[in-house]
Amino acid sequence: MSTTTWIGKSAARREDAPLIRGKGCYIADIAPPGVVQMAIVRSPFPHARINSIDTSAALALDGVHLVLTAADLEGIGAFPTLWRLPGQKHSDTPALAGDKVRYVGEPVAAVVADTRYIAEDALGLVDVDYDVLDHVVDTEKAIEDGAPVINEVWGDNIVIDYTFPGVNALGEEGDVEGAFAEADHVVSGKFRIGRYSGIPLETRGLVGVWDEIAQRLTLHSESQVAHLLRTELAGALGIPETAIRILTPNIGGAFGNKWDRYPEDILVSLATMRLGRPVKWIEDRREAFQATVHGREQVQEWELAVKSDGTFLGLRGRVLSDQGAHLHSTGIGPAWVTGAVAPNQYRIPNYQCQVLGVGTNKTPNSTFRGFGGPEGIFGIERMVDKAARTLGIDPAALRAHNYIQADEFPYFSPAGGVYDSGNYPEALSKALEAVNYEELRAEQKTLKEQGVHRGIGIASYIHVSGFGPSAILGMLDYYTGGYEGSTVKIDPHGKATVYTGMIPMGQGTETTLAQVAADQLAIDIADVRVVWGDTDQTPYTGFGSAGSRSNVAAAAVMKAIEEIKAKAVRLGAQLLEADAEDVEYVDGRVSVKGAGEMKSLSLGEVAQEAYWGHHIPEGDQPSLEATYVYDPANFTTAFGTHIAVVDVDVETGQIEFVKYVVVDDCGTIINPLLVEGQIHGALGQGLGGALLEEFVYDSETGMLLTTSLMDYLLPTFTDLPEFETHQLVTPSPSSEGGFKGMGEAGCFPAAPAVANAVCDALAEYGVEVDQTPITPNRVWRLIEEAKANT
Amino acid sequence: MSDVISFDLSVNGELRSVSAEPRKTLADVLREDLGLTGTHLGCEQGGCGACTVLLDGEVVRSCLMFGVQAQETEITTIEGIGSTGELHPMQAAFSEYHGLQCGFCTPGMILAAIDFVGRNPDPSADEIREGLNGNICRCTGYQKIVESVAAAATEMSG
Repeated sequence: MSTTTWIGKSAARREDAPLIRGKGCYIADIAPPGVVQMAIVRSPFPHARINSIDTSAALALDGVHLVLTAADLEGIGAFPTLWRLPGQKHSDTPALAGDKVRYVGEPVAAVVADTRYIAEDALGLVDVDYDVLDHVVDTEKAIEDGAPVINEVWGDNIVIDYTFPGVNALGEEGDVEGAFAEADHVVSGKFRIGRYSGIPLETRGLVGVWDEIAQRLTLHSESQVAHLLRTELAGALGIPETAIRILTPNIGGAFGNKWDRYPEDILVSLATMRLGRPVKWIEDRREAFQATVHGREQVQEWELAVKSDGTFLGLRGRVLSDQGAHLHSTGIGPAWVTGAVAPNQYRIPNYQCQVLGVGTNKTPNSTFRGFGGPEGIFGIERMVDKAARTLGIDPAALRAHNYIQADEFPYFSPAGGVYDSGNYPEALSKALEAVNYEELRAEQKTLKEQGVHRGIGIASYIHVSGFGPSAILGMLDYYTGGYEGSTVKIDPHGKATVYTGMIPMGQGTETTLAQVAADQLAIDIADVRVVWGDTDQTPYTGFGSAGSRSNVAAAAVMKAIEEIKAKAVRLGAQLLEADAEDVEYVDGRVSVKGAGEMKSLSLGEVAQEAYWGHHIPEGDQPSLEATYVYDPANFTTAFGTHIAVVDVDVETGQIEFVKYVVVDDCGTIINPLLVEGQIHGALGQGLGGALLEEFVYDSETGMLLTTSLMDYLLPTFTDLPEFETHQLVTPSPSSEGGFKGMGEAGCFPAAPAVANAVCDALAEYGVEVDQTPITPNRVWRLIEEAKANT
Repeated sequence: MSDVISFDLSVNGELRSVSAEPRKTLADVLREDLGLTGTHLGCEQGGCGACTVLLDGEVVRSCLMFGVQAQETEITTIEGIGSTGELHPMQAAFSEYHGLQCGFCTPGMILAAIDFVGRNPDPSADEIREGLNGNICRCTGYQKIVESVAAAATEMSG
């Protein structure tokens, strides 16, 4: 039996001590002696042919050491797209544009100089001769006949046309046509999900240090998945992986954006190798808007077949995913996830979804917290509310009528996935109770008479977390692993060191893994050290810090410690002259069962013996350490229901929060305070995209108009409501420890909850919110259009 | 490089000599010339507040002024707040109430909060939100920061 002294406790974060003192070490704080600085010449055009590049004036500037262009990259490879679904077209994303640029911000040349000030002075001296080409930045226009083709090797701008066949994991096939023929009502909707992204407060950055004598590259990087970066960088540079060490400092937020591999990884590495001096690159904020991957942006069309009693019969849809100018690290993966989660918490036996990846002259769209899931939840949750209005059924009642029930797990989704566990009706009940739903509805009527337009918006969600048994990733042609490894070493004094490939980026991984290890070993948490951020020391990670993976990493730690405890018992039995079956590991001691203090050894005493190696049982080796690579048996499915209550000013379109209630279930909770922090943070990002955040492109010029924090609106203190959070705990049967990942969950229901609340507030106008972000001007226009139509 | 000039800055109670170009921002001088890397740069556009420092006790964005302009003032950076074993109540509250995740906005946030509580020793949650609205946090959704500042205000006035 393992005790749970630490799991379930709000243990203080060990990450905090340096950070509150300004003593953290972020990438920009790393300054090796002799370091020189890189700045990047980026394309000012959305689509143009490069005729020539003249670097002579830049090279002549005092303090400039190197200018790299595509011509200098002979023999240097490009990073691959890892998720390569059948039929997905391939194209390399070059580190520097060769003959053509395809989006504003694409790297064209790299300048290295003594200081960043000089490097930036030199950018203007690199003379690039462009022939501007026709561009397209609108998703739907990009697939029309005659649209400019972004990438010649694609042939057209449809990079994939993939259809979910509607077959579940048992091989049962639905009958979508039949469902729609049988339906009493067919509800349809078309939604535009805005383009936004993680916008970590710390931009990307790199420091490369080439050791000429050892012929070895040390790259300080903020990558969420350092081992994968090392593997791919070795491939691109054509040097062995053993010649690369990736070190990770503190990360100032990542949110998926730092999961991808980027051109600058290659450029900084090459520059330090060519100059023999440390090279540093820190992205500025304007670059970050142009050159760090964007997220979301889809145009979705859905049809829901329903019976008059509210029963859902079938769902079919088409998702256009705006991929931008290159397929980045994850290809169209996020859009695939959109199709995979769209049936959500509902029994929808008949399902079909076509996913089209679309190329446009925009920044690549790739990894961002939620990874396609929030888009799918937006679509289905808006459709459910539309159906409720069509049928005249309360939206809560319609959801309850169609939920998968608690006794139906494991549930085989028509989108192919297997939901491990859940209790959807209970989450809804708890949320309704928390907002006082009946009373709220009554109050809404009274307020309406007083001219206050109050709306109640419900959104339920699933969050497929702990991404992947590796074999399933293989079936999806996703060339990564779904496992996490952990090495745990007990030193001769009985203290533990945990090595993880996970990288803390704000979510408190170091603390949660220490909690898990302390519990499993039944030792004080202060006696556990967690080592991360060094590919020379930590085990290879299949997927890294992404996709809410703390649960998988925690399971790896648990399994490694199981092996250590088993070995401690074998060794302890030898030392105590007892049979191993009579010896147990309890309370941090190896003891003969029922024999009391005399027949017992502390973990430290056993460990010391293990390192002396004088009495090692046959078949065992000296030392006390274990490595376990944990590959989850199934995805875990976190879930919940959120309710937003808002007032809408019909004169201005302004939305004010009255209340925001959250009910989430992420299985067994390791640290409640950190879970709450993750929920709040993900909600903040979900609501940002719901209300404020958008990368705006001008269709005439193809320019990205939002390149400062004055144009691109991040939520501030006064933009976000106070969240009321409640937790359910349905332990996952398919993951070690019962944990489910949840770091992304808050992103999922935020936008549809708000959209549904706004529609509810404006029900008398028949307004349907079909676009995010839901800005005041968009709401105002919807109201005015509705008024004009009546 | 030719127009490097020498000047003195008073930082965290200590007079420091600097040789830097006049065009160098205060943030870069603090970080690169004085090694005070607790002052972070989130946007260099004055939009995020991560580079907040106190100049004669007033909140300023160190990315929006030049180092030379800070002569004749008393500069306080995060490194001047609290010490090992004796944290400032604001620092202690941020840790206790989970007012930080990645920690990148935290130094600026703590300095802005200290300034704010100095002016409003008993703030409501809404006043804290208004008072700190110039500082952006991308991780927390703000609620835990509001709780941290409220707790620190109580501690500081108690």
